[in-house]
Amino acid sequence: MRAVPKPECEEALDRLFEYIDHELPEDEIHRIGEHLKECGPCEAEHKINEKIKRLVNKAGHDVAPDDLRARILTTIRATRPDGAT
Amino acid sequence: MTDATEFDFESEALSYMDQLYAAALRMTRNGADAEDLVQETFAKAFAAQDKFTPGTNLKAWLYRIQTNAFINSYRKKQREPKRSDADTVEDWQLAAAAEHTSSGLASAEEAALDSLGDDEIRQALSELSDDFRMAVYLSDVEGFAYKEIAEIMDTPVGTVMSRLHRGRKLLREKLRDYAAERGLYERTPVKKNKDGGACRA
Repeated sequence: MRAVPKPECEEALDRLFEYIDHELPEDEIHRIGEHLKECGPCEAEHKINEKIKRLVNKAGHDVAPDDLRARILTTIRATRPDGAT
Repeated sequence: MTDATEFDFESEALSYMDQLYAAALRMTRNGADAEDLVQETFAKAFAAQDKFTPGTNLKAWLYRIQTNAFINSYRKKQREPKRSDADTVEDWQLAAAAEHTSSGLASAEEAALDSLGDDEIRQALSELSDDFRMAVYLSDVEGFAYKEIAEIMDTPVGTVMSRLHRGRKLLREKLRDYAAERGLYERTPVKKNKDGGACRA
């Protein structure tokens, strides 16, 4: 089942990722924000895509292993240019 | 000779090690290769540090080095067939309205997303092609602006946007599949359109 999108919906859905990524100018942020407040299906899309972005962020962090850190320090100290402290 | 007293390249660069390692894991999808890639990145960065202008974006500069190193060494090694990069801005724009679903369906999907774990998110991301996966990673995890991602991936901003749109749509499809497999989400029949995207009937 699909609600019929209006032209304002098409704009909001076209620009949804840019909206979520804070890539839009103020006036568009405002216009789309207003539309999302009054259109349930578009707001639902907004929430789902924002949630996926948040989940990807949460799952994306790792800590470099200690031995990698040690190896890198050894490498760069060996290649450090003369005169650096 | 640059004045090294104000800007400590070494400690600044090293402060991004965890982030570069996390990105390398997403790039190579393999711990040993990720370590090699980060080591290569730092070796290259330190060798080229005279070319870095203090005051500009060091993090993006390091990511660019790592992305190039990945493309040149690892992607070649993996012998991944070169895809024709036909991603244009128009096709995702035409398909944008396809996801205007009823609210009931959307809240079921949102609830299902909440039950997925980090491993499933990582798995879904790892199944995307290199270009899509990196664009999504650089935006969602590292918070780079489109313009910065364009510089890191050496591609126009329009291509970055296209990769993000397509990558995220594919990612969402995969997450729906995982949720459906676990019985968390009931999939409605979808028919694939010619772009491979799903049109909800």
